[in-house]
Amino acid sequence: MSNNKEVLLSVKGADVAFDNGGKKLFRAVKNANFDIYRGETFSLVGESGSGKTTIGRAIMRINELSKGEILFKGKRISGRISKEEDRDVIRSIQMIFQDPAASLNERATIEYCISEGLYNFHLYKDEADRIEKVDKALKDVGLLPEHKSRYPHEFSGGQRQRVGIARAMIMEPELIVADEPISALDVSIRAQVLNLMNKLKEEKGLTYLFIAHDLSVVRFISDRIAVIHLGRIVEIAETETLFKYPLHPYTISLLSAVPMPDPRIEKKKELIVYDESKRDHSGEKPILQEIRPGHFVFANDREMKEYEAKLQEMEARG
Amino acid sequence: MENNNKEKDLFSFADFDEYQSEHIAAPRYSYWKSVWRTFFKDKFTVGVAILLIFIISFAMIQPIFSGYDPMIAPNINNAAMKFQSPSSAYWFGTDNIGNSVFDAVWAGAKNSILVALICTAINMVIGIIVGSIWGFSKKMDKWMIEIYNVLSNVPFLLLAIILSYILGSGFKPLIFTMTVTEWVFVAYFIRTQVMIIRDREYNLASKCLGTSTWTMITKNILPYLISVIMTYIARIIPSYISYEVFLSYMGLGLGSSIASLGKIISQYTSFMKGYPHLFWIPVSVLATISISLYIVGQKLADAADPRTHR
Repeated sequence: MSNNKEVLLSVKGADVAFDNGGKKLFRAVKNANFDIYRGETFSLVGESGSGKTTIGRAIMRINELSKGEILFKGKRISGRISKEEDRDVIRSIQMIFQDPAASLNERATIEYCISEGLYNFHLYKDEADRIEKVDKALKDVGLLPEHKSRYPHEFSGGQRQRVGIARAMIMEPELIVADEPISALDVSIRAQVLNLMNKLKEEKGLTYLFIAHDLSVVRFISDRIAVIHLGRIVEIAETETLFKYPLHPYTISLLSAVPMPDPRIEKKKELIVYDESKRDHSGEKPILQEIRPGHFVFANDREMKEYEAKLQEMEARG
Repeated sequence: MENNNKEKDLFSFADFDEYQSEHIAAPRYSYWKSVWRTFFKDKFTVGVAILLIFIISFAMIQPIFSGYDPMIAPNINNAAMKFQSPSSAYWFGTDNIGNSVFDAVWAGAKNSILVALICTAINMVIGIIVGSIWGFSKKMDKWMIEIYNVLSNVPFLLLAIILSYILGSGFKPLIFTMTVTEWVFVAYFIRTQVMIIRDREYNLASKCLGTSTWTMITKNILPYLISVIMTYIARIIPSYISYEVFLSYMGLGLGSSIASLGKIISQYTSFMKGYPHLFWIPVSVLATISISLYIVGQKLADAADPRTHR
């Protein structure tokens, strides 16, 4: 069903390796393949150290790919590209950072923080136009124009994160990489920021790559989910499909770990611990294969047969 | 009756106001105003700062009126004028050639302070510019670190001796000697500081917004470094004064035609036994300048750190 949508960003066989001083390079991301369609919220979930932030940063071109490529609207954006393309990509892909306390320049006013992108690309006619744009960006995220002359340390975490969102939005991007935008926030204001992100998405027709480890949040916000484990994408599916028919044992274990706000369910809950080393690794090398339209799972042929049987059983049960 | 009224007025209902929930009630924050407020809160430092300003301006102005020149000694043949004790006519007494020690000390202090300030300014400007680019560029780091290794391992005294042979002695040659390799230490210090905060998230954010390296240095990095740079300056001005004193003491500094604290101290050391005040007066002037510069500089550096702002 998703085949008739426009592919906005496409990651093809991407590897990110870091030199950690040893003989072998450390592969943080291994052969990642996925597409993000225009207008959707695509989530990357996985535990800490699984490489989800690294993928986000590779798309932002902070981390270089050691293999593979990233296409944005059909054009390659990884590796060396021309200056004009570079400027275009910077404008069209923006990032929201995890830690609102660390991602704003403490020595600059909010006005400068938000105008930074405008200054860099001279996206304003005159001073009055720039101030108007900043005021509008602040209003869009529910802050006041009078905050312009304030410094970041005078704001609460939620307000700072909204400044970070305003700073990205003012560039009028098409894709936003949101790297755990709410995990550093107080629980009471998480919903506020998520609702704001959803509101802006509808208003401006944005596409999100949402990086998170909290499945309850991911279920609330995303259209499709990719589960990543140890740098490898193990399953991609639409949100409800993934929650209904999880196939890969890591996905199942991840779903079983979601806490339920009901003591009776929690008491009976069986935690499924996933252990990579205890799995049956026989057969050929596994790859990401499509088991149902839009539902991908990382498996080899032997595992595919097992998953197929399991899926049919689950579908029969409904 | 009165009591009843009070209870009624205890509270009244208010409507939810979005403006009020986002409004920041605290007064506006201004970085430099807070720096000065923090600085002036400490009365002792303010006293030292006033003393320092007085000493420096006195050292700059007094020699104009006294017209002291170490090469002129009108009383050299007048035995009665030599080694006078401090008096109302000669506040610090007179020396072995019958000149006023008061005039000599202030003329010397003027040149020593000038040398220190000029060298600090030159080294800081070159060091900050080179160091901040150095900290950002991995390519530059590869060869800059070699230059640093070479320059920082040149023995300073050896360099001073050779340069004084080549360039002679005087004001400009001394400043050249004290800046030709010294800037590299400032640059290295700044490079390390830049590397510490270069990869912080807010700099990544700037990079994602397409900010150029130079704008990142001036807007993101250097404002953070104000307080460490202040601390550094507070440390090197006094140390440059002692460098000058040391070089002049060794005969490599300003030369015999220009008064300097170092030369006066070395000249008067030989009268330590008979007339100790001749030695102790220039030394205590030197110590007062150095210590008060250090205290004021440290306090300014503390005040420049926004974490101390209340």
